[in-house]
Amino acid sequence: MLKKIVYKGIMIVLLLVALAGCSLPGLASTTKDTIKIGALATSESRIFAEILAIMIERETDASTELVTHLGSSIVQHQGMLRGDLDITSTRYTGTDLSGALGMDPVTDPEEALDIVTKEFQDQFNETWTAPYGFENSYSVAVTTEFAEEHNIETISDLEPFADELHFGVDNSWVNRKGDGYDGFQESYFSFGHVFPMNIGLVYQAAATGHMDAVLAYSSDGRIKEFDLKVLEDDQRFFPPYDASAVIDNKVLEKYPEIAAITERLHDQISTETMQELNYKADVQLMNPQKVAMEFLEANNFFEDMEKGEN
Amino acid sequence: MDTLEQLVHYVTQNGGYIWVQFYRHFLMAAYGVLFAAIISIPLGILIAKYGKLSSWVLALGSIIQTIPALGAMAVIMIVLGLGTNTVIITLMLYSILPIVQNTYVGMKDVDKTIIEAGFASGMTRFQLLRMVELPLAISVIMAGIRTALVIGIGIAAIGAFVGAGGLGSIILTGTNATDGTAIILAGAIPTALMAIIADLIMGWIERKLQPIKTSKSRTA
Repeated sequence: MLKKIVYKGIMIVLLLVALAGCSLPGLASTTKDTIKIGALATSESRIFAEILAIMIERETDASTELVTHLGSSIVQHQGMLRGDLDITSTRYTGTDLSGALGMDPVTDPEEALDIVTKEFQDQFNETWTAPYGFENSYSVAVTTEFAEEHNIETISDLEPFADELHFGVDNSWVNRKGDGYDGFQESYFSFGHVFPMNIGLVYQAAATGHMDAVLAYSSDGRIKEFDLKVLEDDQRFFPPYDASAVIDNKVLEKYPEIAAITERLHDQISTETMQELNYKADVQLMNPQKVAMEFLEANNFFEDMEKGEN
Repeated sequence: MDTLEQLVHYVTQNGGYIWVQFYRHFLMAAYGVLFAAIISIPLGILIAKYGKLSSWVLALGSIIQTIPALGAMAVIMIVLGLGTNTVIITLMLYSILPIVQNTYVGMKDVDKTIIEAGFASGMTRFQLLRMVELPLAISVIMAGIRTALVIGIGIAAIGAFVGAGGLGSIILTGTNATDGTAIILAGAIPTALMAIIADLIMGWIERKLQPIKTSKSRTA
């Protein structure tokens, strides 16, 4: 009787090992030549995963597989370390500086980029590519109407009105250490009334006039949808969240063409362009793959590529 | 656009994508339950034969059932990494209890006099199991598999968090969009439909396997 149980236990372990090693028919087409691209659940991450996938499939003989909707940057990082992912489509300097590297936030964008580029190369043997050009950082936004009426360009310009303003913010930001509201008050000023809420609600709250100013994510498509204006962070309080891809060096060695692809995407997508792409996916409900394809076609990425080949 | 219009718009634009995720979702659930059945049916038979073990095994199954699926998945992810295998193993764990329990009950419910009759006619223990006990218990066992599959289809929806895809990823996309109700529905309705269809089909198989046919008085 005991023997049977032991036997059964061994069988279960064997089955698990066998499962971990292979994939089941119909589920994954993972071969050695498949490049696995990880993406977060956000639309912008999906769009970039699709852009990279389309470009890689055109330029190299490798096939790609997307692993989407990963929970957080840390999951992406762990996936890369384990070898479950070869590329992660969007990584943000500020996020990985404090997340994967466990360092203090750095407010200078270039310094932050230098640090992550160097540390990822040294510690994880991964290449942090040249940034896409947009950033998805915390920012303060007001309605365009309000900004024009009072001639507001920077966050400091809001100070004379601050006592009477209603400020809608992300729940998690209020108590955030460092770049949260406490830090914000030290660098700038306090708002008269602060309303923590779900991040999805702040944009609409600003547009409908329930809030006068809101804490927004700078590349969010809803900034465009609700006609909000992102104010300049003149005190450079918010840490930079410049977006790049991260690629495993082993993949880069095998397919050097990928380096050329990310080089070509460098500085091609401004924060405004990203807002538009996010708008298409989040508000117009377009499939991220279609958004990616349209973007690449509209900006002649394929033509440039063919010229390069000839 | 109202939600219904948006839903139609999304589905027509992404029909292929939804179908691919539907298929993937179903496969994950089906594999999970299949592997669970391979382990659980013999285990259920075993604990039915050796009564002492039953309380322990059933208690263990119940304990697994109390762990939140998302948490279990996160722990299994540490070992198996991202992807479908993690989801399949999680589903397997959650399917063990319903299948073991039903196998146990099915085997226990077999009329002792029938077994004795078989034994008296010179059947070996294995013959008894194969020709008498299992056929009589099979519909109850199938009921367990049916429950497991329906639960599994529900749990597979959170597989999107570990990069396994499935209809859950459509739901997650919807939660990220400004007004994503339509996308959420485009993921949630097929999930619910799949569970209902699976339940109906398994119920039909279960009735087909019923050893004692219903009497003529029932018209159906």
